[in-house]
Amino acid sequence: MTTPINRRRFLRTAALGLGALTIDQLLAACGAKETGTPPPATRSQPARPTAASPTALPQVTPTTAASLQPEPTAQPTATPFTPPDLAVARSGEPEALVRGALAALGGIERFVPRDAQVVIKPNICVAYHTYEYAATTNPWVVGALVKMCFEAGARSVRVMDSPFGGTAEDAYAISGIADQVKAAGGEMVFMSRMKFVPTEIPQGQSLKKSNVYDDALKADVLIDVPIAKHHNLARLTLGMKNLMGLIQDRPAIHANLGQRLADLASLIRPKLIVVDAVRILTANGPTGGNLNDVKQLNTVIASTDIVAADSYAATLFGLQPDDLSYVRAGAAMGLGRSDLKSLRIEEIDVGT
Amino acid sequence: MAPNLVPATKSRRVRKPIARWIAARQIVQIAALLIFVALLVMSRRDGWPPDSVNLPMRLDPLAVLAQALSSRSFLLGSTVVLLTLLLTVIAGRAWCGWLCPLGTILDLLPLRRRSLRDKQPNIPAAWRTVKYGFLTAILIAALLGNLTLLILDPLTILIRTFTTSLWPAVDQFVTSIETMLYNVPFLSQPISTLDAWLRPAILPSDPAYYRDAWLFAAVFVGVIALNLIAPRFWCRYLCPLGGLLGWISRAALLRREVAEECKGCTLCTTVCPTGTIDPAKNYASDPAECTMCLECLDVCPRSSIEFQPRLKPAARQVYDPSRRQFLAAATFAIGGLALFRSDALLSHPSDHLIRPPGVTNADLLDKCIRCGECMRACPTHGLQPAWSEAGLEGLWTPLLIPRLGYCAYSCNSCGQVCPVQAIPPLSLDDKRTQVIGKAFIDENRCIAWADHRDCIVCEEMCPLPEKAVKLEKRDFANPDGSTVTVQLPHVERDRCIGCGICEYKCPRTGTAAIRVYVPGAEATF
Repeated sequence: MTTPINRRRFLRTAALGLGALTIDQLLAACGAKETGTPPPATRSQPARPTAASPTALPQVTPTTAASLQPEPTAQPTATPFTPPDLAVARSGEPEALVRGALAALGGIERFVPRDAQVVIKPNICVAYHTYEYAATTNPWVVGALVKMCFEAGARSVRVMDSPFGGTAEDAYAISGIADQVKAAGGEMVFMSRMKFVPTEIPQGQSLKKSNVYDDALKADVLIDVPIAKHHNLARLTLGMKNLMGLIQDRPAIHANLGQRLADLASLIRPKLIVVDAVRILTANGPTGGNLNDVKQLNTVIASTDIVAADSYAATLFGLQPDDLSYVRAGAAMGLGRSDLKSLRIEEIDVGT
Repeated sequence: MAPNLVPATKSRRVRKPIARWIAARQIVQIAALLIFVALLVMSRRDGWPPDSVNLPMRLDPLAVLAQALSSRSFLLGSTVVLLTLLLTVIAGRAWCGWLCPLGTILDLLPLRRRSLRDKQPNIPAAWRTVKYGFLTAILIAALLGNLTLLILDPLTILIRTFTTSLWPAVDQFVTSIETMLYNVPFLSQPISTLDAWLRPAILPSDPAYYRDAWLFAAVFVGVIALNLIAPRFWCRYLCPLGGLLGWISRAALLRREVAEECKGCTLCTTVCPTGTIDPAKNYASDPAECTMCLECLDVCPRSSIEFQPRLKPAARQVYDPSRRQFLAAATFAIGGLALFRSDALLSHPSDHLIRPPGVTNADLLDKCIRCGECMRACPTHGLQPAWSEAGLEGLWTPLLIPRLGYCAYSCNSCGQVCPVQAIPPLSLDDKRTQVIGKAFIDENRCIAWADHRDCIVCEEMCPLPEKAVKLEKRDFANPDGSTVTVQLPHVERDRCIGCGICEYKCPRTGTAAIRVYVPGAEATF
């Protein structure tokens, strides 16, 4: 006789189904890896009117890589090239600004070796507003970096942040960053609880250990891409403050913020810092939401020195580097230089 | 489907087609259960479309009927319930035998191995009246505007259990395994890939915590444990949805008939999961109890059982509710409700009764079917089942507990997913203007006010474009004579919408130093 559904039969059916699904997923994943193209979207993102493709906006028509190529060769090449400490690119499309600034620093190849595994950490702190509100890093700045990493021969480029307001899925979509990263062939990665590993901070003075995101520590190249914006405790959130997204216990940083951010920066060492000042948020940060608080500067700062990058960015808000507690602490610890006068700064006008 | 159920030649037993029907039922049962679970998993924000994930509740005639009686309105989206009613009018309680996910779980976990020699458990048939009692009480209370007893609806039991205890527990378990394996060097890569596949698509990125999770699990375990007494004990004696469908099934078209070849071997009596086949009545069954599982058809050695369309009302059973029992249940409902409404919470509502955006308390009590879909959809897990805050009248209705999760400025999922619009389906722009509470700072606990240390977390977190938490710099003298400048937070209550992210993120251990209270009438002073 036929028995009622029994456990064995149920398990068999379920296992078959799940097995098929897993194999399907694995095949899809493998296929994507081999070709190096972005995997087809496996999860459908619900369409959100607020996230409507920022590409539609006139002022940010994507610039093709070809049209910008001549720029790097324009560098003085007669004598052995000594890169500047800091490059500032002004007045241009976001992608052109990034390309210009990096060309001035000696090209992305200086930082991204062939076959490198790259992690890019933009600031995607909330899921509330589109990029115009300057609470999250400009999507074309991030997209340009992803493209350039691949042009330099990177094996993988992963982009991640852990928002404090709203879900990461929402934040990635609304910021417009997910679209640009995917279009450039990179991966948007959701940060995972298990990967915050307890880590000692040997040079730490106030913060001796923290649970730090493993991928950021293990990446061949970490690129820190903050957006320059207002923050009432830190005064400004820039490159060093952006590293906070890579640790689990963020309230622990708030006490003695300046020193602890510097301690963190002594552990997490991005190879490249690209400060997005295309649009800056001058008040009601870090969450924003009011266009009157946004100033369009069309500026991108790039440096290997996180203290220098933050120091220069401070001047965009009319502040001195020493006004920022973490810049003072970072300079005191020898993580970088904040004395703008002694830095070799290359300022270029990208033009439009 | 009716004609196929009848063997080709009545006198000879044709096994195969029947076995195939049983297999078909099992496939349908498992598929329905898996779809139900899949819809629940994908009820999360950024999951499947809200109109699809709340389909099971809209197919549930008990929830739809009670909600319509209570709110005096019928929602267009609930018309799909006609499918369930149509199925019932044709094939009786086929919902229970073929579709109900709780029924399937009870079939999968019989808890007691049974053989064909076993007798049906010796339980008085009168117990079957209990489900009609629950049904009556639910409908009478609904007429009076209360839906508390819908916590007994099988689908709400499942959704609530899944949301508050089962899925969070699965997540905790998977996380601990993952974390352990991730630290094994050669496993970290595959585990990382697995995790990227699991989260946030299937499991939550951040762990979910629900108050009294154990209680919801215990109710569910209790329902299953009743299987120890009799198979599908819940369906036979208690399920109010089963009662409603059974009552309709009394006039169902498809009927089980026992032919004269029957020699009284009692196999069908034994195998019947609801124990409705009565040897004393020539092995007839009650259409209100039969779940159309077709097990009797399969087990009958003489093929003397048929399922055929027949237009006749069901025979009266000893356990059909009498007028006296009906009145007793109605009195119970009315009296109970009067008691609920004598609760001091109604004259002095809890100041922590923070409802989802766009909701007024009275409206919610009229409409909420206690399904818990909103709590499942809430990405911060801040929506929790109300307990002491809402009294029994509002038992297990949704309530925001900001310390456990805030109302995300980027989210309007609860209203989108609510199958009965007890939470209005607001656009994100509208939702952002809903005032669900007001924040107050406890200056005796605040790190800045009480300890004279900079913190500003509440200000930093405030999602409003013009922040509702403002900072004021003030100098304080240290014991050693030096001064310290501290940024003190103030709430601009005109602006505050009560989303609670400040309370959620406040670094003060235990009770937050900034708390959200219900928006009170004093605002108009």
